[in-house]
Amino acid sequence: MFRIAIVIISLLVGAGAVRADDRIGVVASFSILGDFVRNVGGDRVAVTTLVGPTGDVHVYTPSPRDAKRVADARLVVVNGLGLEGWLPRLVQSSGGKATIVTATKGVKTRKLGSEADPHGWQSVTNAKVYVSNIRDALVAADPAGAAAYRANADAYLDKLDALDREVRDAAAKIPAAARKVISSHDAFGYFADSYDIAFIAPQGVSTESEVSARDVARIITQIRASKIPAVFLENISDPRLIQRIAAETGARIGGTLYSDSLTAENGDAPTYIDMVRHNIRTLTSALAN
Amino acid sequence: MAAQLQFNDLTLGYDRHPAVHHLSGEIAAGALLAVVGPNGAGKSTLFRGIVGILKPLAGSIGRGGVDIRDIAYLPQSADIDRSFPISVFDFVGTGLWRTSGSFGGVGKAARPKIANALAAVGLSGFENRNIGTLSGGQTQRMLFARVLLQDARVIVLDEPFNAVDARTTADLVTLIGRWHDEGRTVIAALHDMELVRSSFPETLLLARTAVAWGRTDEVLTTANQAEARRMCEAFDDGAAACTAAASPARAA
Amino acid sequence: MLLYQALIAPFSDFEFMRRALAGIVALSLGGAPIGVFLMLRRMSLVGDAMAHAILPGAAIGFLLSGLNLFAMTFGGLIAGFAVAILAGVVSRVTELKEDASLAAFYLVSLALGVTIVSMKGTNIDLLHVLFGNILAMDDQTLLVIAFNATLTLFVLAVIYRPLVIECVDPLFLRTVSRAGAPAHLAFMALVVINLVNGFHALGTLLAVGLMILPAGIAKFWARDITGMMLVAVGSAMLSGYFGLVLSFFTRVPSGPAIILIAALIYIVSLLFGRAGGVVRKVFTGRHLEA
Repeated sequence: MFRIAIVIISLLVGAGAVRADDRIGVVASFSILGDFVRNVGGDRVAVTTLVGPTGDVHVYTPSPRDAKRVADARLVVVNGLGLEGWLPRLVQSSGGKATIVTATKGVKTRKLGSEADPHGWQSVTNAKVYVSNIRDALVAADPAGAAAYRANADAYLDKLDALDREVRDAAAKIPAAARKVISSHDAFGYFADSYDIAFIAPQGVSTESEVSARDVARIITQIRASKIPAVFLENISDPRLIQRIAAETGARIGGTLYSDSLTAENGDAPTYIDMVRHNIRTLTSALAN
Repeated sequence: MAAQLQFNDLTLGYDRHPAVHHLSGEIAAGALLAVVGPNGAGKSTLFRGIVGILKPLAGSIGRGGVDIRDIAYLPQSADIDRSFPISVFDFVGTGLWRTSGSFGGVGKAARPKIANALAAVGLSGFENRNIGTLSGGQTQRMLFARVLLQDARVIVLDEPFNAVDARTTADLVTLIGRWHDEGRTVIAALHDMELVRSSFPETLLLARTAVAWGRTDEVLTTANQAEARRMCEAFDDGAAACTAAASPARAA
Repeated sequence: MLLYQALIAPFSDFEFMRRALAGIVALSLGGAPIGVFLMLRRMSLVGDAMAHAILPGAAIGFLLSGLNLFAMTFGGLIAGFAVAILAGVVSRVTELKEDASLAAFYLVSLALGVTIVSMKGTNIDLLHVLFGNILAMDDQTLLVIAFNATLTLFVLAVIYRPLVIECVDPLFLRTVSRAGAPAHLAFMALVVINLVNGFHALGTLLAVGLMILPAGIAKFWARDITGMMLVAVGSAMLSGYFGLVLSFFTRVPSGPAIILIAALIYIVSLLFGRAGGVVRKVFTGRHLEA
C-alpha cells in the first residue's frame, strides 16, 4: 500500500513539473520554420535551426554538428516540395529516430517551371497551414502539452490573420497598373498569387541556375513595354545583374525583399511576421509613386 | 700565361657524394683542353660547376674575372622543349642575348650574323624550320651555332660531336681551331681519342680526381688510362664523411 | 534583313549586350595570349587550381568586410599571388616540378579557405558570390578588365623574350641571364591577375575557358608563337560574339554558350586546321619533289 502511494505521488510530481531537459528537441531546416515552431511550441520546445540567416537553404551543405542535432532531435520540421535537397541524406546518415514533419502538407501548391514551387510560406494563408501542421505534429509527439500547443497556435494564427488583412489592404492601395516588380529570385510566386502583385524574375528557382542573354533581353523589353516601376534585390543572389537591368530600363531599385530566410535579431526581418511586413512595406513604397 | 680558370681543392657532387673529388689546378687563358675519362668520371659535373649551375660541395672555382654569364656552354643532352613553336633562326638568335639584352629584339644588324652562324654549321636553309623537325645531329649543330653567336671568351663543350656525322665533325673541329686562334679558352669533353690526339694540345684525364693533366701525348698513355678505368663508377652509399687534405697541385 | 536582325540588332538594341561584348574583347586581349603560354608550358589546368586557391584570401576579405566584393577580390588576388609565387619558388629551388608544386599549394590554400569560412559559421558559397556574370558588366567591372588587358599586353611585351627562352631552353637562360626567375614570376602574376579579375567579372567558366580553348584552337593554325597569339585572340573574340548571339536567341546561359561556340571552333580546328589537323594528316596529298 505504502509503496503504491510513493509511486503515485512521484508520478504526479513528475507530471506537474516541466524541467528544462524535458523540453522536446525540434530541429527546423531553416529560420522561417524555426520561427513557426517557436511560436507554437513556446517553452515546451528547444528549437535549433540548421540554415541560419544569410544561409541559402537551396544549396546548404550540412556539417557534422548538424547531423548530431538531427540525431538527438524528436522532431525534424522541413518544408518539403524539393526545397531541402540535402536533407533526406542527412537524416538517413544521422541515424536518428526523429519524426519528420513536412510543413507543407495540405498546402495548395503552384507550379514553377516544370516543378512544384517550394516557397509556400510566402502566402500568409499557406503559413497558417504550416502552423497547423506543426501544431498537430507537436501534439502527436508530446500529448502532455497539447493544450499549450493549441493555445499558442490559436494566438499565432490570429496574428497571422491580422497580418494577412494588413497585406491585402496595403496591396490594394497600389494602383493596378503599377502592380508589377522585378525580383532576382523566383521565390515570390505564392505572394504574387495571393496578393495580386506580379513578380517577374530573371533567374530560375534555385540560386544555382544561370541566366541567358535572351532572358535578360526579355525582362528589359518587358519592363520597358509594361512600364514596370521597380526592381528588387534579393539578399542572396548577384546584385550586379539587377543593377544592370535597372540601369538599362530606368526602373527604380526598390531595396531588399526577404524570401528564403529571416535576418539576424537586429535586422529588418527577425521573425516571419516582421519579414512579411517588411516586404509589403518595401513594395508599397517603391510602387506607390 | 694567365690562368683563366682555377680549381681550388674543388669537390662537386650530388647528394653529398662527390663526382669531382678534391680537384686542384689551373686552365690557362687561351688553352684548348680536352677532358676525357670513363663514364661517370665527373666531366659533365665539372662543366656544370664551371658555368655555375652546380655549387661546389667543397673548395672553389676561380674564373679570372670572367662573368659566369659570359661563358658559353653546350650541355651534353640539351633539355630543350622540341615541341615549342620556335624557328631555328629565332632559337639560334638567342645566342646574341648578351648583346641584345633581355628585352631587346633581334635587329637588322644581327640577321646576317645569325645566317652566317647557321652556314658555319651547315644549316643554311633551315632558318624557318621548327626546332622539333630537326634530327639529333642537326639539333646538335644548331646548338653549336648558338654557341658561335655567343662570342664568349670561355667555351665549354660537353661531348659536342655525339650525334654528328664525320664530315660535320671535321667542320666543327675547324671552328674550334678558329676559336683557339682567336685566343678563346676552349674546354671540351670527348670520347674519341683519335680526335683528342689530333686536335687538342692539352688533356685532362679525369676519374673523379685528376689522373693526369698536361700535354696530350703525355697524358694519354696506356698506364694512365688503365688507372682511370680502375675508378669505381657507383657512388658508395655507406661512405663516411671525407676528411682528406687537399691533393697536391698539378705539375705543369 | 535577316542577317542584320540576327547579328547586329541584339547589340544595337541592348546596352547589356554591348557591354558584354566589350567585356569579351577585353578578356580576349588579356587572357588569350596568357593562355597560349600556359598551354605551351603544360599548365593548362592551372586555371581551375587557381579558382580554388583564392578561397582563403576571399574568406579573409569576407571576415574583415562582409560581402564586400572589392575586399574579397583583393583578398583573392593576394592568395592567388601567394600560391603562384610559392609554387614557383619551390619548383625552382627543389626537384619538384611546377605542376606538382602548384597542386600542393592550391590544396593547402583551399583547405585553409574552407576552415576560415566555417570558423565564421555561415554557409554562403563564397566563391559563388565572388564570381560574376558577363551579362552584368557595370562600369567598374569593365574598367577593371580593360585595365587588366592593357597591363597584360604591356607586361607580356616586356617579358616576352625571357619567357619564351624559359619555356624552350631554361638551362640556357640560367647560364646567360638572371632574367629567368623574374620573368617567370611576372608571368605567374599576370596569370593570377587575369584569372581573379576574370572570375570577378565573368565567372570561372568564361575566365578559364577563354584562356585555354583559344590556345588549343591556335595550335592547329599557327606554327609560331606570334601567330598563335593572334589566332587565340581572334578566336576568343569570335567565340564571344557568336556565343552572345546564341544566348540571345535561345535559353542557353551566356557563359556556356560562349564556351560551346569556342568548343565548336576547336573541333573544326582539330579536324581541318592547317597545322596538324586530323583530316589533313589523313589526306596529305601527293608528296613533294624535294
